[in-house]
Amino acid sequence: MTTYVYGIARRGHGRLPERMGGIGDPPCPVRTVEQGDLVALVSDAPQELRPKRRDLLAHQNVLAEAGAGGPVLPMRFGGVSPDDDAVRAVLAEHEKRYLERLEALDGKVEYNVKATHDEEAVLHQVLAENAELRAMSDANRKAGGGTYEQKLRLGERIAAAVQQREATDAVMVERALEDASEERSPGPQSTGWLANISFLVKREHTAEFLAAVDTLRERAPHLVLQVHGPLPPYSFTG
Amino acid sequence: MTVVPAQQGGSGGTSGLYDVLELVLDRGLVIDAFVRVSLVGIEILKIDIRVVVASVDTYLRFAEACNRLDLEAGPHRSPGLPDLVGEITESGARGKSKGALSGAAQTISDAFKEAREESEPEPRPRARRTASRRKEEQE
Repeated sequence: MTTYVYGIARRGHGRLPERMGGIGDPPCPVRTVEQGDLVALVSDAPQELRPKRRDLLAHQNVLAEAGAGGPVLPMRFGGVSPDDDAVRAVLAEHEKRYLERLEALDGKVEYNVKATHDEEAVLHQVLAENAELRAMSDANRKAGGGTYEQKLRLGERIAAAVQQREATDAVMVERALEDASEERSPGPQSTGWLANISFLVKREHTAEFLAAVDTLRERAPHLVLQVHGPLPPYSFTG
Repeated sequence: MTVVPAQQGGSGGTSGLYDVLELVLDRGLVIDAFVRVSLVGIEILKIDIRVVVASVDTYLRFAEACNRLDLEAGPHRSPGLPDLVGEITESGARGKSKGALSGAAQTISDAFKEAREESEPEPRPRARRTASRRKEEQE
């Protein structure tokens, strides 16, 4: 029977969610594998593990539950060990590194922030800042929308201006929130966001961090900010 | 859908699966000695939702949007965006029956498209959708 690993904690963690339902259908009960000063949160692995919605949620829920009781190094979804002994071997081999990282993550959670432009608001800004674009837009409107060529010309210029704003706004988001956090990490590469950044935040400073997000929202109403957290510190496992 | 009950205690702790999927699948500790589950189909997550691409479609869309734009009104009016998270979460649940994440992810990205289109004042030109389809296939 192979072993699925959710995360790694210190042996003295004390509040690991043992017997909680993990991945699989029916859910495999969560248990621990101990080695030295470390403990791995594991369950049996279902015969055929695939990234199903149910299992992704189970992975996430086990880590959230464990993280509420103390620092946990979250594993990426889908890591399967041949057996419990192989888990012990890994814990023994990397004990120092894992303990150091757990120490660094103690009392901290991850917040992921994604930013997009509100299209109408950013177009407003771009036109407000650039008289030439405004004139082009006015001319088009007076001509009943303008010719295909005119629309293309205006659109291309506006797209360039918006793209420029995406870059400067990404920096603005990072700067606005970095002071309220301990560490930051760029999110996985994905398109659709002008910024996708994870921040490591001390639990006792979460209110300040969220206040910094609100301040940014007020200051930059052309940004649509999505904040997700508190999360297990996926982006800060070292 | 309630996710991660243990995360209560901080506002903003209502993340749905989609919102953190990329972190669960692309971040977190990896141990070389372990076998990793195949993530075939996940790249569909990289689909663009609202990205500025240098394309004729985008140029025309922006030009049209500027025509409609009322410069006299404040730039900060409520954008009237739909509750994206709610929409996604509801539709995402339908992906269950498909089993594999590729199914769920497809459903979720479809939900995004639906939500986006519902929020548009007028239907998006057909050409744009086919263009983005092609892009997905190439990726």
